[in-house]
Amino acid sequence: MKKVIGLFIGLMVLVQAVPALAHFQMIYTPEAALVKGGKIPLVLVFTHPFEAGHTMNMGKPEQFFVVTSRGENKPKKTDLLGTLKPIIWTSLTNSGAAWETTYSARGGDHVFCLIPEPYWEEGEGFYIKQNTKIIINVGGEPGAWMEPVGLPTEIVPLAKPYDRWTGNVFQGQVLFNGKPVPGAEIEIEYMNHEPLLDRRAFAQAAKAEAPQDAFVLQTIFADANGIFTFGIPKAGWWGFAALGLDPDYTYKGKKCSRDAVIWIKAVDMK
Amino acid sequence: MKYKKMIGIGLLLIGLLLAEQVLAHTPLCSCYDNGDGTVTCEGGFSDGSSAAGVQMRVENTDGKELIKGKMDKDSEFTFKKPSGEYKVIFDGGEGHAVEIKSKDIAK
Repeated sequence: MKKVIGLFIGLMVLVQAVPALAHFQMIYTPEAALVKGGKIPLVLVFTHPFEAGHTMNMGKPEQFFVVTSRGENKPKKTDLLGTLKPIIWTSLTNSGAAWETTYSARGGDHVFCLIPEPYWEEGEGFYIKQNTKIIINVGGEPGAWMEPVGLPTEIVPLAKPYDRWTGNVFQGQVLFNGKPVPGAEIEIEYMNHEPLLDRRAFAQAAKAEAPQDAFVLQTIFADANGIFTFGIPKAGWWGFAALGLDPDYTYKGKKCSRDAVIWIKAVDMK
Repeated sequence: MKYKKMIGIGLLLIGLLLAEQVLAHTPLCSCYDNGDGTVTCEGGFSDGSSAAGVQMRVENTDGKELIKGKMDKDSEFTFKKPSGEYKVIFDGGEGHAVEIKSKDIAK
């Protein structure tokens, strides 16, 4: 009997330890590789991107900034927090508080970084904090895309994130406080419904259909050096979320999953 | 004999290095209207190498040189916008020149 109870408790703990369902912090702009500089739109949405499902209310981000670099020039950090405007983003099932801004991009790499306010996930009983970055390039001249920005949790690309053809692999390294995280668990989702910026909503039409639930949210693990590899099967934006990189982290006295997210865009060879 | 071999290998290496430099990068240059009567051009190469010191020229449509300068240490070149149409030439040497027409300069 005791054994059974022990087993049952063990199972309960395991069930509890399963991470929340595929929450993904998005930083979105339509293009990752721009031919010319100019004004680009950016939106910050916390959602379930494959299904364009339940969109969570975002609080005021703690930090939102860009690190620009071009050629061998020293990377330059610019705060963008003050430029954010609150919006309501509509998913296929609800709507949630999100943020938007525009940004004037000149040549080189632009690494957008978001440190959000932790989100209370009632269903799971813990907070989620997904430090997120995307890297865009203007004009083809690279900068410091491969350098860590120095976020507490961060995925550093080992493959240029804006030059991937469909079918290429993407490699990244998961870092916590600048150190590789061996065996980090990484969830991957495809941005399956196009974000319509003028309507502040996801498009109804899906680009791909999952034959079974496992395909909605793919899972891989990093190797002993925190490095992961993913073959990109379809053009568009792909999100990678390394979960729970700081198991002891708490926020307001509650457990808080401290994650690192990166989005990359692949393009078809035509 | 030994020397000849070494010279041969040396030449081969120099050849490889030269070939690398020629093939691995494309010159890039984009210009932006700063909105204050000046234009800034950003230069570089597709492999990320610096364009510091590269010769820059601004010419009118007849090919007359209006302004001459160099890319600074940050691979940037800022000049006072001439009146009328003009073009900017990023002169990175043979096969490494880029020409930008004033109508293609982003505001």
